[in-house]
Amino acid sequence: MSGSAGILHVTDGGLQTTVQDYPGRPGMLAQGFYPAGAMDHLALRAVNLVVGNPLGTAALEITLGGVGFRPDRAATVCVGGATAPVTVDGEEVELWTSHRVPAGSEIRVGIAEGPGFRQYLAVAGGIAVPELFGSRSTYTMGALGGHEGRGLVSGDELPLGAETDAAAGRRLAAGARPEHARDWQIEAVRGPQATPDFLTEEDMDTLFGRWWTVDPNSNRTGIRLESHKFDWARSSGGIAGGHPSNILDNPYAVGSINVNGDLPVILGPDGPTAGGFVVAATIAHGAFWKVGQLRPVGDRIRFREVSVEDAIEIDNELTGRLTEASIESV
Amino acid sequence: MGDEAAVFGASGFTGGWVKDYCAAFGATAVTESASAIIDTLEAAGPRPRVVTRQAGDRAVLVEYGEIEFDLTLNFFALAAHAALAEHAVSGVVESAPGFRSLLVTYDPHLTSASELVNALSVVHRDIDPSAGMTLPSRLIHLPIAFDDEQTRAAIARYGNSIRDDAPNCEGGNNVDYIARYNGLADREEVYEALLATEQWTGFIGFFPGLPFMFPLDPREVAFVPKYNPTRTWTAEGAVGIGGPCWAIYPVESAGGYQLVGRTIPIYDIEERNEVFRGNPLLLRAGDRVRFHRVEEAELLELFGDVRSDRYRYRIEESPFDVAEYLNWLPSIEDDARERLERCEAAAATTPVP
Repeated sequence: MSGSAGILHVTDGGLQTTVQDYPGRPGMLAQGFYPAGAMDHLALRAVNLVVGNPLGTAALEITLGGVGFRPDRAATVCVGGATAPVTVDGEEVELWTSHRVPAGSEIRVGIAEGPGFRQYLAVAGGIAVPELFGSRSTYTMGALGGHEGRGLVSGDELPLGAETDAAAGRRLAAGARPEHARDWQIEAVRGPQATPDFLTEEDMDTLFGRWWTVDPNSNRTGIRLESHKFDWARSSGGIAGGHPSNILDNPYAVGSINVNGDLPVILGPDGPTAGGFVVAATIAHGAFWKVGQLRPVGDRIRFREVSVEDAIEIDNELTGRLTEASIESV
Repeated sequence: MGDEAAVFGASGFTGGWVKDYCAAFGATAVTESASAIIDTLEAAGPRPRVVTRQAGDRAVLVEYGEIEFDLTLNFFALAAHAALAEHAVSGVVESAPGFRSLLVTYDPHLTSASELVNALSVVHRDIDPSAGMTLPSRLIHLPIAFDDEQTRAAIARYGNSIRDDAPNCEGGNNVDYIARYNGLADREEVYEALLATEQWTGFIGFFPGLPFMFPLDPREVAFVPKYNPTRTWTAEGAVGIGGPCWAIYPVESAGGYQLVGRTIPIYDIEERNEVFRGNPLLLRAGDRVRFHRVEEAELLELFGDVRSDRYRYRIEESPFDVAEYLNWLPSIEDDARERLERCEAAAATTPVP
């Protein structure tokens, strides 16, 4: 089917462009696979909604911008995420809006000056690379899934899925679009290894109270923050290792704020599935999309502690936004 | 350390600030004595202590027993993992074991952490490692070449580009350091620790197919700190130890374990050997690995035979009788304790990387 449904030629792959869907590849944690999938799951689902795809359809996740694509058939496309100039054959088009582009035209996404770091390009019908374990997402750490398990480079050819309905001339209403910033508030739930037995109340006040700067050495596997000497509620990790951040290895949930010695790292969708360091807090699923928009140069985070109930509410609000009610005609 | 804590702890960004902020956003303020522990059940009968912790809004981390190197806790975790897979509990998406834990991911629209605590307590009731419990297991034989060229290359590269004064890399190998840290006489005794016992795959994690393995014979136990900082390169098939745990590197990658040698592939997404057809992972939690020593030239040949689909892995279906194992342990208790004391005494006088 994909053979007859068209090809998307990559003319410029940029810094890192990968095929991603949502929710990626859950269900394989016990075999050591993190789910991969869109780092900004809100933007991916929103651009799919605009072009009329099922929300989790495979699309392109673009890092920073500076990329180009050429479909060999007419296609309906939408770019959303970090603000950047988007052009079709040199003519600027609106973000968060679906456009009908002719066969052979070049779609270019320019550099995002910030705020925000990633853009998502959806094509009606989806990116039809083969599924691996039920998902088309690229798992960068495992070098599998997506297109040959890697970021796209100029000359790559991606199969497109068959279009069912052309859905050009639709856009995401302004009120439904995510707000980006350079200073982010990101909601997180305390634990699993926090107070009272691993970290002190003062440590948690620090975690949730101060601004954390994003380290340049960050990617889909993890967002590194700054070193900080926590007080710790215990003097050592005992048999698991000398440092009090050491524990006997256990699995990690996606979005864990993992304290490696003195260094907190947010585990991304391509991160390690297990390890021997405490997790002080876990980012609410409904807030995790913000992690995909952190610029690794100068962006700052303040974690806002929420209860599980509030975290679920945040996710419900997000899901509620991703409906036809948020779509308007151009 | 105290001074820095004072600076941050005494700033305005304390619990009070969090409350004000939450109030402004209409969220429930989290009390200052908030705990990540949802539920604690003290040990009762065959069941160890169970502590359930919140791990975000879609998962709970269930911990068994105390922070100690006790394989019985891993048997319990694997049994709970298997039972959850077998008896579908409403709302559970998946579970994944750790050494003494189980991460249970759930759909918060179908269940809740407190409902899961109740469901798990029913699952736990039927698990009794000492009473005729067997775990699904296979005995897998793997060749290993010690102190091979690729292992030496990884250590040399680390010395040249990352750190040239690491005590664990003295002499261009990690084995001398492992021996020293555990009070073992020489390299041969380190190799013996790996070869003389079946290695129990406690769980798979970090990377697809990477086994966390522990010696079933506690007389062969060894501990060692990890690299600091970590290596940027390790060969595919490298075998190393970190803490009490042995691991095999499924692909060429970064890493932090102390290296001893190299075995054949345990992962191949390209499925170039029949053993990987339909599943790129060789090992599963609960499998036992028995290493046998080969020369480096033979290992390289076997490696090539795996790739060209000429090699056939030796895998025996062999369920693991937990009770029999637990009954055997007391007979070697004194030797095991002596070994542990020797390790601890040596560790106390050995520099940490």
